[in-house]
Amino acid sequence: MEYGLMHQEPNQHPVAAPREVHNHGFYPYVDNGGTVLGICGKDFALVASDTRQSNGGYLINSRDTPKTFKLSNGTVLGSAGFHADTMQCLETLEQRAQLYFHKHERQMNAKAMAQTLSHLLYSKRFFPYMINTVLAGVDAKGNGVLYSYDPVGSFGEVTQYSHGSASALLNPFLDNQIARAHQTGVDHSALPSREQAIKLAIDAFTSATERDIYTGDWLEILVVDSDGVQEIKRELKHD
Amino acid sequence: MEYNGAAIVAMKGKNCIAIGADKRLGQRQLTVDTNFKKVFPITERTYIGLSGLATDVKTLHDQFRMRVNLYKHREERVIEPKTFANLVSHVLYERRFGSYLVNPVVAGLDKNDIPFICGMDSIGCIDLADNFIVCGTAEENLYGACEGLWEPDLEPEELFETISQALLNSVDRDAMSGWGAVVHIITPAGVITRDLKSRMD
Repeated sequence: MEYGLMHQEPNQHPVAAPREVHNHGFYPYVDNGGTVLGICGKDFALVASDTRQSNGGYLINSRDTPKTFKLSNGTVLGSAGFHADTMQCLETLEQRAQLYFHKHERQMNAKAMAQTLSHLLYSKRFFPYMINTVLAGVDAKGNGVLYSYDPVGSFGEVTQYSHGSASALLNPFLDNQIARAHQTGVDHSALPSREQAIKLAIDAFTSATERDIYTGDWLEILVVDSDGVQEIKRELKHD
Repeated sequence: MEYNGAAIVAMKGKNCIAIGADKRLGQRQLTVDTNFKKVFPITERTYIGLSGLATDVKTLHDQFRMRVNLYKHREERVIEPKTFANLVSHVLYERRFGSYLVNPVVAGLDKNDIPFICGMDSIGCIDLADNFIVCGTAEENLYGACEGLWEPDLEPEELFETISQALLNSVDRDAMSGWGAVVHIITPAGVITRDLKSRMD
């Protein structure tokens, strides 16, 4: 009996000589964790962030490094992701704001700032700033405006959004409480008042701190209106 | 676990339980069914929701139905939610090294009308909760929504509103779940089942 009929030898492909494998592995980004959110009101807008900075794993780099920043033209920025890129982008954006001011003898308005940030982010399309940002300000008439960005500069005007490690947790909550999605018998075009927005930001972050290990320590809120920027700091759970 | 898509949530209230799920069955980005049951009654007062791979959801539902019927014949009484949860845990751990790709949620009232909810991982580790349990592709969304909206001792109608808002707003931020939702409220008086009006995308 021919064994060849019962047991088919699998087709032996010719094997190439093994190449040497090098495992150098330099990855240029780190996710420093944390969460930011933005809320837009009728005559104000706010950005809020926690102040915890992590190393991508279980270590905490800092308990007091806010992710919200004031810019010299009266807008405020919140940014989650790679903190080194946040600082670099922020510095360049601030330079643009100051150059504009010196050239035109007036501050850039919020809409122009939004466009500038978009260009800045896209200019590094092929080695991006690994950051997710929200930009808040007031327009010339004093109405609040909020813009949300992806890492390469795609942006849009929104009434609420969150970025960062707890963004998946916060966005549905913000949709429900700010835009009043899925609520019946309410005025869907009404924006929150200042007190409501601040309270919601605090509630959102206490919820996020419960479930997300990268969010916590302190909460910093920057509220911007036509009079300037108000800073609010609240403690969050440190665990 | 992300192949079919699901969003399941259970909440504890004052002497009552709510359990809800979306109705979508997908195959990656393709939607195949918009009326797919993921929450099943085990007894009149105990429900189980299963997220994850749909074939395992169906298979396990049949397995549990068989085991609970056998329990009823042997014990001559109806199974309690806590006991059933341990049964589910056992069935899953039997497959420790080749597991079912599901995340179950058990919710019910025991014989003294005390609410019980728990969740499990795919190999049966029980997570006993005082407040809510979530699972599925919209898990993170549901965690945030529930953490923000839930409070203790909600009456049945308030609990219904809370769980519905949590579910609807969470699936709207998840591409793999949605296409309708169903919520069951279990009270000592009986079960009220409602279909939610939602975005059909």
